[in-house]
Amino acid sequence: MTRVTRREFLATSGTGLGLLATGCAPALKGDFAPKTGRRVVVIGGGWGGATAAKYVRLADPSVEVVLLEPGRRFVSCPFSNLVLSGVRTIDSLTFGYGGLRKHGVRVLHETATAIEPDARRVRVGEGYLQYDRLIVSPGVEFQTEQVEGLAEAGDQVLHAWKAGPQTVMLAERLRAMPEGGVFVLTVPPVAYRCPPGPYERVCQVAWYLKNAKPRAKLIVLDANQNVVSKTALFRAAWQAYPNLEYRASNKVVKVDPGVRQVTTEFGDTVKYDVVNLIPPQRAGTIAVQADLVSADKRWCEVNHVTYESVKHPNVHVIGDSTIGLPVPKSGNIANAMGKISALAVVRLLNGKEPQALAPGNTCYSWVNDKEAIAVVNAYKIDGGKVVQIEQKLTPGQSAQWGQHALGWAASIWNDMLG
Amino acid sequence: MRTTLAVLVVLAVASGAAAGPLDAPGADKAVVCSACHGPGGQSPSNVMPILAGMPSWYLKKAVQDYAAGRRPSPEMEPYAKQVLQLGVDEIAAYFSGQTRQPAAVRPDAAAVERGRAAAAQCVVCHAASGKGDPGKGIPDITGQPQGYLQSQMLLFKADRRSPGDESLKALKAFFRQIADEQIVDLAAYYSSLR
Repeated sequence: MTRVTRREFLATSGTGLGLLATGCAPALKGDFAPKTGRRVVVIGGGWGGATAAKYVRLADPSVEVVLLEPGRRFVSCPFSNLVLSGVRTIDSLTFGYGGLRKHGVRVLHETATAIEPDARRVRVGEGYLQYDRLIVSPGVEFQTEQVEGLAEAGDQVLHAWKAGPQTVMLAERLRAMPEGGVFVLTVPPVAYRCPPGPYERVCQVAWYLKNAKPRAKLIVLDANQNVVSKTALFRAAWQAYPNLEYRASNKVVKVDPGVRQVTTEFGDTVKYDVVNLIPPQRAGTIAVQADLVSADKRWCEVNHVTYESVKHPNVHVIGDSTIGLPVPKSGNIANAMGKISALAVVRLLNGKEPQALAPGNTCYSWVNDKEAIAVVNAYKIDGGKVVQIEQKLTPGQSAQWGQHALGWAASIWNDMLG
Repeated sequence: MRTTLAVLVVLAVASGAAAGPLDAPGADKAVVCSACHGPGGQSPSNVMPILAGMPSWYLKKAVQDYAAGRRPSPEMEPYAKQVLQLGVDEIAAYFSGQTRQPAAVRPDAAAVERGRAAAAQCVVCHAASGKGDPGKGIPDITGQPQGYLQSQMLLFKADRRSPGDESLKALKAFFRQIADEQIVDLAAYYSSLR
């Protein structure tokens, strides 16, 4: 894996510069990369897609793999809450795709615009790519229309729920907040990416405020009836933060950046100096456009063993955009789905029966600068379905779990991209 | 001859016979471990043990102890149960067949030298090589990441690893007599051994 400098990161991730770079690229037309052997195309180079691309090559180097990912750098969402507290830099969470290229993955920094399942083609610009099997790992998209005023607010209201420029901007706003200011953080209704993520963010913002701006206040407006994940552990950790006010069952339906105010579904208004509004979510846009989503138009149903879409053959869907498995929308689960789908795809391409393999989930949350908590889930395949064997939580928070979190991150980033 | 080879290569590709690193028996089941322990069990972190080259009897014992709660770990207990479900023999055989690379984090040279002197106390059981004695259930402790070895010795010292295990009573009594600083040195030394 290659670390990048802040300068490199900003040069490649800023929206304007990103568009400029794409504009300079030669236009892709027709079958711009004709298929010579068996080919797997992967859409999305996040936790699921990057892993799947690598593991197809590990499982069968005779299969060509093309990864479509518009971003030139991978930025890890796990650990990005630590950027808000200043414990980590965004650079330390940013990696290149060079490792995948070493495995023979053809990484194209392009956006897949449509899927044609009958023709087994992915549209890219004015051209297309043919595939034998397609793995779609599109992540989540925000349902901005669910919150009045959000679409118009632009960068005035940040989600920071896809690690990158917004994470850095939110950290800067937190630093610049007045001494006695109010930071409002809103939690969307389930299902959303990373169930414990908002509550870890609460810890990091509260920890920062306690140390840097002790007169400031953090108000959490949670659309859910209670803390969604690691409930008792987070509640215990929050005892250390007197500057934190948590309000359950407070779904935010409106934001007005002009008067710096959010409104809940009951009509209550809350004023803020800095807001972090995490919007409701659905599967990534390509999954919706390609009719991979279920009747709810939000998430994709898949076969629990192969991750093949229940709607389109030869198209496999992994990661946060899936629904129906008893697993959280976590990076670790997406990584596991990436491996299992890759192995299944290779077996199917070779005319073999896929192995019945289940994912596992390890999820750490930082409750201050040094201490973490964790939840671990083990699963099995029973009757063709993923079933949970067991869930375990750490008995409390400690620096030991923090050390384990650091080891986990080093390992899994390498497993994906190394 | 050249033509024959070319034909063979083409046939191999067409039939999907090109073997990848995941073609070994048990490799597909072992991917459940790779997020933390690295592909092929080659852990890149200082915290997680390297499973590559670990004798199968020891890995199997560790999985069984974790699953039964004898070796308390909120992370490993669920995963150990998942591994038992998948088939621990096959997974342990796969990892024992992998070639171990040196730990990613190299220990400090001065600590290694201090640890070498202090290790005189360990050779009675773990042998001068550090390779242990499988017949007596004494594991090979060489080449593991320093951080992992250190954490396990501290868990023994605090009686948090396999609490109440009679066969480990003497080991734990030994650790209680030595300072944490010396445990760091011992971990550095055994991590440096091949």
